Amino acid sequence: MSENNGPIMVTLQSNDMQQIQVEKAIVERSMLIKNMLDDLGDGVIGQTIPIPNVTEPVLRKVIEWCEHHRGDPPSTNEDESDNRKKTTDIEEWDQKFMQVDQEMLFEIILASNYLDIKPLLDVGCKTVANMIKGKSPEEIRKTFNITNDFTAEEEEQIRRENEWAEDR
Amino acid sequence: MSTFRRAPQPGRPSILSTLQATSMVDTKAALPAEIMVAILDYLPISDQIRFARTSSRMREMVYDDTRWIARLKSMGCWNEVEARRRFEEAMKRKRAAAARANANGAPTPTAVRQENTTIFDAAVEEERRKKQEAEAAQPPEAKVDGFETLGLNASQRSKSPLEDPAALTDVLKNVRSIRGYARQEFGKIYGALAPFYFDLGRAKTHTEPIVFRVFRDPERQAQMLSNLQTFSRCDWAEGWFQREEKVVNMVSIFEGAVLREFEQGYEFWDVDGRMQRYAHVLHALNGGNAAMELFIHKHPIFNDREALGNPINCINQADRDDITLEPSRAFFELLMGKVNEQSDIISRIFPQAATVFWSFADKVREDIIMEYITPLLDDAHQRHMTSYLRAVSGLFEQCMEFVRSLEPPNNSEGTLEDHAKEIALMVFEPHLDLYLQEELDSFTKYAEKEVGDWEQKLSEQDATVESFYMGNFNRQTDKNDFLSSFKKVVMMPATVLPSFGGSKTASTAPTNGSSLRPAAAGTPASSRPQTPGIGGGLERSGSPLPSEAPQDELNAKAALMANRLEGIRSLFSIEVALSLVHAAKTSLGRAAKFVRLGGHAGEEAREQCEAMFVVLLKVLGQTHVKNGFTKAVDHLSRYNPREISDHNQAGVAPLVMFIELVNVGDIISQMIDVFYEQQLAAPKIADKNDFMDPAGLAKKKFEQMLDESVAAGLNKGIDVLMDEVEYLCATTQLPTDYNPPPPSQEAGLSKDLDIGPTTTAKRITELVSSHTKMLVGSTEKTMLDVFNSEVGLRLFTAVCKHLKRQRISTDGAIKLIADMTLYFDYIRTLRNQDLLAYFKALRELSQIYLIDAKHAKEMATIIADGDRFGGIFRAEEVYEFAERRADWYQVKRAVERAMYGLECQLM
Repeated sequence: MSENNGPIMVTLQSNDMQQIQVEKAIVERSMLIKNMLDDLGDGVIGQTIPIPNVTEPVLRKVIEWCEHHRGDPPSTNEDESDNRKKTTDIEEWDQKFMQVDQEMLFEIILASNYLDIKPLLDVGCKTVANMIKGKSPEEIRKTFNITNDFTAEEEEQIRRENEWAEDR
Repeated sequence: MSTFRRAPQPGRPSILSTLQATSMVDTKAALPAEIMVAILDYLPISDQIRFARTSSRMREMVYDDTRWIARLKSMGCWNEVEARRRFEEAMKRKRAAAARANANGAPTPTAVRQENTTIFDAAVEEERRKKQEAEAAQPPEAKVDGFETLGLNASQRSKSPLEDPAALTDVLKNVRSIRGYARQEFGKIYGALAPFYFDLGRAKTHTEPIVFRVFRDPERQAQMLSNLQTFSRCDWAEGWFQREEKVVNMVSIFEGAVLREFEQGYEFWDVDGRMQRYAHVLHALNGGNAAMELFIHKHPIFNDREALGNPINCINQADRDDITLEPSRAFFELLMGKVNEQSDIISRIFPQAATVFWSFADKVREDIIMEYITPLLDDAHQRHMTSYLRAVSGLFEQCMEFVRSLEPPNNSEGTLEDHAKEIALMVFEPHLDLYLQEELDSFTKYAEKEVGDWEQKLSEQDATVESFYMGNFNRQTDKNDFLSSFKKVVMMPATVLPSFGGSKTASTAPTNGSSLRPAAAGTPASSRPQTPGIGGGLERSGSPLPSEAPQDELNAKAALMANRLEGIRSLFSIEVALSLVHAAKTSLGRAAKFVRLGGHAGEEAREQCEAMFVVLLKVLGQTHVKNGFTKAVDHLSRYNPREISDHNQAGVAPLVMFIELVNVGDIISQMIDVFYEQQLAAPKIADKNDFMDPAGLAKKKFEQMLDESVAAGLNKGIDVLMDEVEYLCATTQLPTDYNPPPPSQEAGLSKDLDIGPTTTAKRITELVSSHTKMLVGSTEKTMLDVFNSEVGLRLFTAVCKHLKRQRISTDGAIKLIADMTLYFDYIRTLRNQDLLAYFKALRELSQIYLIDAKHAKEMATIIADGDRFGGIFRAEEVYEFAERRADWYQVKRAVERAMYGLECQLM
């Protein structure tokens, strides 16, 4: 895929009109872009690809991740067969990478979801899961900005229903 | 997404960002549902439940049944079939309830509630749920306390189902598969096992986990550990790997400890005590394979192998070049006793007794039986082929019998027969190819040698004068008799291998094995009529057979037949055929045992059996029978009646011989047919309906060859017969027979008295009829008909020819008529209408000689009367016959005038 005159570059454009030059091999971690490039052929290489729902800082962050993980083996889609695959630990670099504020974290998750970068999405979800582990319902509500539509009795009812699951 | 209401964003007053927020980039908490679900998957159970408490939307997400079914499935606790059945039952109840509600007219409370619970019977499930809630209502703190104090006051707490250790250990078994209630079911398991599980995950040493403190007895500990291992499979939150490893470690530590206890019990042979107890513990833990392996591995039976007997005894105890299977039978018997004893012990020790028993049996097979059989067979193979062949099949049968008489513990899978097959196959697989090959080779060798021997003997005897024995006995009955005894012998199934055959009925009669030793000495061979030289072959083939009555009967009959058919001894021998068939049956019987194994080995054995049959037919048909026929036909064609001095016999020697041959050929063919039916078709070795089947093809070829030989021979035979007839006519018919000297002579009176047929005619009819009769029953009816009509026609021609050479006087006509009537009567016995017409005409014709010369006119009428002769003779031919009248020249003119005059008149 790389020509003699260096790696092929593609240009991405964030929703705030910033253009970022990325190596094609890196950006193809995104299944969305990879499929698009595959479909359109080499003719579009010179053109700018708009990424309308992602802001520049987020996009840069995502590209940073892709660059670090460029050598990873492609994720096998067979994971789904093992109905819910077991959680693996987040590797250290990813842990550091995810040490951002919550807003950014969510944006990364959304962007990876949109761009279809499954490993990144997984890391994001795991990070969020770790974040809310052991939190009270109220704290969870705050984190996810969820409106409580339960009465106190109702909430207590759920708690009692699932008492078996409580930590000791 | 509607429930994720966006909170007002106080920290962001910028218009631009507000504008963006309205479109799509309000990222704050805007995670879509599928991402929420993905996050939920990574959460431990307790956090999921807390998540459910945040809002009704979240609750719905968490409570989603598939989420919990997946967990139940991972533990193997979800039964889709059961779930569907429950679902359908619920649907039925619902429909019934709805119908009731409609009938009542007003919506009943149940009907209303049904809407909430959708399809499940509200009343039933509600009750269940309440109970569950009651269970869950136990204060969590109490539980923790409870575990710690359980050892002290278990009786006090055992009322609560969750605290009841029995309920805890059985929790995985009691899970039900109900759609819509997977979470509750999972909750039961989680509530019971999670505390132990997470505690175990945190434990530092193996004494620490509360599992071992709550449950004191190893049985429950094992059950709980097994449960926890299952439970660990549904844990996929972060850190599962360490937790699972902890559990596995703990299980293996525990297993090791229990196994040590078991081993100690083993050393003291404490069957019903420690061994039984710890085998059950290990079974509860993980199926108890470790205990089973230990048990089998250390079993004393494998150490004192020598006590069971030395395989070489089978060879040493027998005569040279022979083998006795008595020691091996004793070996199997001893082994059977021991194994059955172990079967009892195993069922006392192990909960999964059947599995243990069969692995034990497998180990016995590998270490004891194969160790016994392999050297024995190798040795036998080196020493002597026949004993090797007998040993293989005999041992195979003994081995099968051994497994059949095992007494496995109850509820073992598969029938004994299947196990017998499996074990026997494993034991004999390494020997099977060699054996089958050797069996075929040895049979082929034997057959060829037998035929070769016989031919050699024959050529030695060639010079000796052959005496022909004329069979004036009833062939049909004799043959049927012979064949029926043959059938009896063939149908005796077990006699070929008496080794274990007898023990089928009386499981182990100790004397039975001895019958394998050559019982031939006991066969009353000397008392039978014997054909010199050839009888020996039969003896030999009979030797490995026990002295059973039908066998003797057959041998005696064979000898008798041979005696009667002595005439054809020089061509081929029924005894050789019989001995070949016997050898084939022995070999086949041995090889056919392996067919039962089925599968690849069975198929191979079956093919070899067919090959043996084909070889039998080839040797018997191509070399033996065909040579015989060729020789007989040769004899026939060389026959010249004029060279034989003695014609007083009532038969043409080579033809008689040939016809005897046809008889024997027929017997052999029928023998082969019976053999095929009994040995190949009945046990399904050969498929009768498969026209490509090699055995069937070979059999057809053999029969065809036989038919062709017979047909060719008969053709020649007719020629020879007619030669003989003509020769008889020429030599025995006196000119005075039909033209006696005038009665004026002195002897006239006495001559006139004899009005019967002449000796020539008598001799001819006797000759022909004896030959045609001989064929009856030995050849096909159609062929017989063809033969008969050919013989009749040729006889007719011969008689006509003969007649035209005679001179017949009116006096002699009486004799002639008598002769013709004799022929006619004979032909009538052949029951052939066409033929009868010829001889009828002949009889009519002979009457023209009776007419007195004075009645020439009437004679002419007869000559011209075509109808009189049924169209057989034309007027010209009759005229020719009339010319043979002794007084023809006197009547000729009168007759001719009358004939032509009549003709003119008619015209």
